[in-house]
Amino acid sequence: MSSELPDGWTDDTLTHAKWAEAVRVGTLLGQRCRSCDHVVATPKSVCVDCTGRELSTIELPTTGTVYSETTIEVTPVGQDDRYQVAIVDLGETRVLGQISGDVEIDDEVSLSGHVEYEGMPGPTFSPVE
Amino acid sequence: MSRASIVGAGMTTFGSHGAVALHELFAQAALPALDDAGVSQADVDALYLGNTSAAVSENDTHLGPKAAAQIGLTGVPTQRFEDACATSAMATKHAVHAIEAGIHDVVLVGGVERCTPQSGLSTPEMTKVFASAASRQYEQPVGLTFPGVFALMTKRHMHEYGTTKEHLADVAVKNHYHGSLNPRAQHGEEITRETVFEGPLIADPFHLYDCCPFSDGASAIVLVSDEYADSFDQPVDINGIGHASGGVPLAEQASVTMTQAARDAAGQAYDQADLTAEDVDFCEVHDCFTGAEILATEAVGLFEDGDGGPAASEGRTRLGGEVPVNPSGGLKAKGHPIGATGTAQLVELTDQLRGEAGDRQVDSPSVGLAHNLGGEAATTVVTLMEARA
Repeated sequence: MSSELPDGWTDDTLTHAKWAEAVRVGTLLGQRCRSCDHVVATPKSVCVDCTGRELSTIELPTTGTVYSETTIEVTPVGQDDRYQVAIVDLGETRVLGQISGDVEIDDEVSLSGHVEYEGMPGPTFSPVE
Repeated sequence: MSRASIVGAGMTTFGSHGAVALHELFAQAALPALDDAGVSQADVDALYLGNTSAAVSENDTHLGPKAAAQIGLTGVPTQRFEDACATSAMATKHAVHAIEAGIHDVVLVGGVERCTPQSGLSTPEMTKVFASAASRQYEQPVGLTFPGVFALMTKRHMHEYGTTKEHLADVAVKNHYHGSLNPRAQHGEEITRETVFEGPLIADPFHLYDCCPFSDGASAIVLVSDEYADSFDQPVDINGIGHASGGVPLAEQASVTMTQAARDAAGQAYDQADLTAEDVDFCEVHDCFTGAEILATEAVGLFEDGDGGPAASEGRTRLGGEVPVNPSGGLKAKGHPIGATGTAQLVELTDQLRGEAGDRQVDSPSVGLAHNLGGEAATTVVTLMEARA
């Protein structure tokens, strides 16, 4: 039957649509592999580490440290004129976010909202005082 | 025995080409490549063509038959490749496989792209087109651009290894010097560190002169089987071509400084050619940004991790140095018409290995390496070429 989900999938399987819905209400969802415990911050169809198909949807920490950052001064049409982006280390995985404020590598940041672009959200982080 | 051999090479100048159509621009590289090889259209078994962005930027798709018809190749099998900035290296890889498998004996391979405002798109519009290679769901909404991708990689490299903005600027200064010796380069002017530092920021640490330009251009090679190559003057052998991919999005890569796909692709190419990094006399690497060249020279094994920046500043990668990197000027100074870049690197390797590179000739090279990456270094193709003894 074409409506059947692939092996190992359930209605709870994390998709971009569910991830985006969560970002909009201030939550970061990820996946933990039930076989090897590998964690990712963006939904996959299998574990990228061991190809296991049993993945638990988990809430990721909303604070982390800046792994790398840059301020983008020449931006795509439809985006703001200038903004900082950072890869945020959440401990077991990392996620890309826009920065509200000004941060350097190793600074602590926390999830503070989101930006919207072409109908899709991106997480925003702010420095932790 | 080679996997395949290049017997003809041609390319346009890189820069602005005015109101030329893509298939017309490709002809300006393809016909010189056929003439260089001394083959006629009747000898060509297939066309493998690279173009990255025209579907989005120019509403121009199905370029294979259009390009074939323009140069009298109607009827031959043709296909078009898109793998971000690694597009025409990918076309080359598939052509090598087809030749090696005995499916074709003579293949015309090349790429063509228009990225300057002549394409009709402004800088913010073209910046968006380039960003299409980043994750649509997890990177584009955040506003990541390609200068941004390589800035994130480079700033982490600076943090981990102490790479400096002076090291970055020295890559640009070197490649502009090399470009000043290349009549086909978009940027033929020499610059200094101060030129770099005084330029506007694009995505820190990159100033304008840390970044390759938007370019129009085309490149082409004629590829033949090992056996057939002996009947040509000055064949240059492809003895290894490795290809690997890496994870997207960038944030989830185990390391953003390793460019693991490049290490994997280089390992494959060295194994196929029975060579090591120590055998490489010069290379063309994908210096879309100054930091990208430093990461690339480490990934293909020319320098230990962290030594790529100092090596550039010490002149080890300059013409006359121990291993010249990007004698053509690289993407930085020669230009980067995306889909044409991979085969343009092989045109440079061919010219150098034949001893026909003029003022920028590397001293008697026997082994050249090309490193062409796409996206967040998530696709990389590494090619090893040798002059036929």
